[in-house]
Amino acid sequence: MKFSTLGRLGVAPWLPWGRKHELPDFLRAYESGPWPDPQKPWREARYVVLDVETSGLNERRDSLLAIGLVEIEDGRIRLDRTWHTMIRPPEGLLVAADSIRIHGLMRNELATAPTFEEVLPALIERLAQRVLIVHVSRIDVGFLNRALKQHYGSKLHGPILDTARIAVTMHQRAQMLGAVSHDMPMPAIQLRGLASSFGLPVYGQHDALNDALTTAQVFLAQATRLAQQGKHTLKALLRSGGV
Amino acid sequence: MDEIVTFLRIYPPFDKLPVAAAELAASQAQIEYFATGSTILNAGGPPAQFLYLIRKGSVDLVHIQDGEPTVVDTLNPGEGFGHRSLIRNAPPVVAVHAQTEVLAYLVPANVFHRLCNEYQDFANYFSASSFDRLISAAQQRQGSTAPYLFQTRVRDLIRRPPITIRPDATVRQAAQVMRDENVSCLIVDLPPYGFQDANSGIITDRDLRNRVLANGLPDNTPLREVMTAPATSMPADSLAFEALLLMLERRIHHLPLIDNGQVIGMVTNTDILRRQSSSPLFLPRQLERARGLDDLRTYGDQVYDAVTGLLDAGARVSDVGRVVAVAHDALLQRIIRDAEEELGTPPAPYAWLVLGSEGRYEQTLRTDQDNAMIYADEHPPDAPEYFAKLADIVVERLVQCGFPRCTGDILATNPRWRQPVSQWQAIFGRWIDVPDEESLLRAGIFFDYRQVHGKLRAEAVLRPVIQRARGNTIFLARMARAALRTPAPLTFFRSVALERRGDQKDLLDLKQRGTAIIVDLARIYGLEAGRSETSTVSRLRSAWREASISEVDAERLINAFELISLVRLRSQRDQIANGEEPSNLVVFPQLSPLDQRGLKEAFQAIARAQRGIAMMFQTDRLIG
Repeated sequence: MKFSTLGRLGVAPWLPWGRKHELPDFLRAYESGPWPDPQKPWREARYVVLDVETSGLNERRDSLLAIGLVEIEDGRIRLDRTWHTMIRPPEGLLVAADSIRIHGLMRNELATAPTFEEVLPALIERLAQRVLIVHVSRIDVGFLNRALKQHYGSKLHGPILDTARIAVTMHQRAQMLGAVSHDMPMPAIQLRGLASSFGLPVYGQHDALNDALTTAQVFLAQATRLAQQGKHTLKALLRSGGV
Repeated sequence: MDEIVTFLRIYPPFDKLPVAAAELAASQAQIEYFATGSTILNAGGPPAQFLYLIRKGSVDLVHIQDGEPTVVDTLNPGEGFGHRSLIRNAPPVVAVHAQTEVLAYLVPANVFHRLCNEYQDFANYFSASSFDRLISAAQQRQGSTAPYLFQTRVRDLIRRPPITIRPDATVRQAAQVMRDENVSCLIVDLPPYGFQDANSGIITDRDLRNRVLANGLPDNTPLREVMTAPATSMPADSLAFEALLLMLERRIHHLPLIDNGQVIGMVTNTDILRRQSSSPLFLPRQLERARGLDDLRTYGDQVYDAVTGLLDAGARVSDVGRVVAVAHDALLQRIIRDAEEELGTPPAPYAWLVLGSEGRYEQTLRTDQDNAMIYADEHPPDAPEYFAKLADIVVERLVQCGFPRCTGDILATNPRWRQPVSQWQAIFGRWIDVPDEESLLRAGIFFDYRQVHGKLRAEAVLRPVIQRARGNTIFLARMARAALRTPAPLTFFRSVALERRGDQKDLLDLKQRGTAIIVDLARIYGLEAGRSETSTVSRLRSAWREASISEVDAERLINAFELISLVRLRSQRDQIANGEEPSNLVVFPQLSPLDQRGLKEAFQAIARAQRGIAMMFQTDRLIG
């Protein structure tokens, strides 16, 4: 089934040597950047915060079900430019899956949602020329790269920041500087716990857009604190939590 | 985004706007995070591009004058800034600094202006001064529950034109007209006939029973001999609540309504009460029916229920105070009359005075007794003993009716506070001439007196003495200094200062740090202006012309007083409903954001008045 779908799109992912010529326009535009200058103050870069919902944690077996994006510009989250979409999973998954998230309303919404291939151009366009921010990047980035590789033999290109990594780095630095004691346990890495530890509001139910918004606020708080420690540039942020 | 909408809708102005307004703001907003100490808006800098709404943290508004920065206000979550600069598209007048880390929702200028255009309340809220918002907060509260009593004009309760009758008609004819027209009262048309003005008479079914039948008068008695003329009337545009108060105070059940000098209709207590179940109007009737002390004991509970009903209906605290005064006065008068009956006619004219909050019409839920007696200088030798006995009986019965004795023993049973006129004049005079601690304390209670019973006119013999305070700057200055001893509970940053008691924190004493200060200030203004009013609101309203407070500041204090009293009363009512002992303490963060904001502004009004008093009386120069 997979091969026939890709064949329709005219892509030959199993032939990496011919890849560049086969890439669709939106991916070529994405790969050509330019990416934000790491030497500039962090506020001058443009960011896009991403959160995905999946049917499970295994990117080989499970499928993307929803994507939420929140943009940050001039150091401000733009609620007027958020983006959210459901994704229709492969045929067998909807029937077979017993995931809570696929029950009820969600199942109906998913059945009429666009496929990942249909969503991809719009998604990739929104990631272009921006620093990607995710919380626990392994899962979200893993799913996206797996899908990109499958369909186009491509992967994510731009700089990526992981708010969970930044949290760990900040904690370790604080320990080194003696600001927190050595036996002090790692702060909450889980998104909501982390947001609460900053005194930040947590937005609504777990869904891709709410979690992307919560992540975006955590990022603003982290970047603000790092800047106060003299780490003003995007480079300094990438050093603290780049992927 | 729903969460942001929910957050916005807790706070003014979005709390009074359709959900669409908050949704529009949330969908177009931006979110920014500010480091502690960072400057969000620069005084004289570029105009604000956003309305900033604080989600987390606090900001200081800093005014810089002659190079000296002053924090003029501190804003907390739910509060906004930037709108003044936005509206005028001019540089901010004050700088805004993040006092803590701040998370803010930013509503862009175009969305802000769109909200202003689409929602008048939104525009009003942001264009109004903080003082206007304080008033609108108080009014919104009044309108929110059962607005009926406070929004209905009595004109709208008139069901038919008045039925009139000539004064030479007989009582029998009057009864027939009442039966045929199915009414309980008639307007008696007095000469010149055909024009029923405010001097018209009135005859009610009660009059026919009490004045005619019960007195054995014949059925051909002319109405002019038994009617009431002129009848108590009121303008047709009065509020239902004012009519209720008037009927309560005069103990009447029918009110002719006047429009353009003519009686245009009648309103009865049942017309008003049809839609109001627990009402203070029933209270005096309960008293009339009461046959003994046991019946009187439940009276206090009924007063409490009626007050609760009025509060729920959104009555102003000063109006509630009047209702309570009428209700408690009626009880007191009944108890005193019963006691007089038992002891025999008083041997000399006397007056029973209530003091302190009761004297100021500010007694609300149950409080201690504070009372005193004054009797004529010319009295038979056995008079003091009679009045002692009378005081014992009355005070004891009040205790049984749920009014505990004053802990400071300010009671008519105490011989110190049961004196002939000349003694009282000497005592009052000494408090003014020798204003030591004790004098100031006493003056604060006794100068707020009100006569509830007795033939001696206390006002005529005591007021001239109190008037002496007017010119006595030492007395006034001492009193002013005492009123400044407790500052308004504001921190250096102008937020509300809270205290900790035991393991409870964030407490605020609404009486000690709020109403009591305003009461003291109002008394000073009243004495300074030589006014005889005793209630705090009427003191402030009447005294500013001749006292050291401006009209605007007096209005501010009145609003502050109403607001703090209201929050306190509602809190006490809830405590009583929960079976707790009512107290003046509230846990500030548990109050609604609207109350928190209102209180903060009320305390700022107090602080302002205190600064004015300190300047006027130069209290810092006083020695001793």
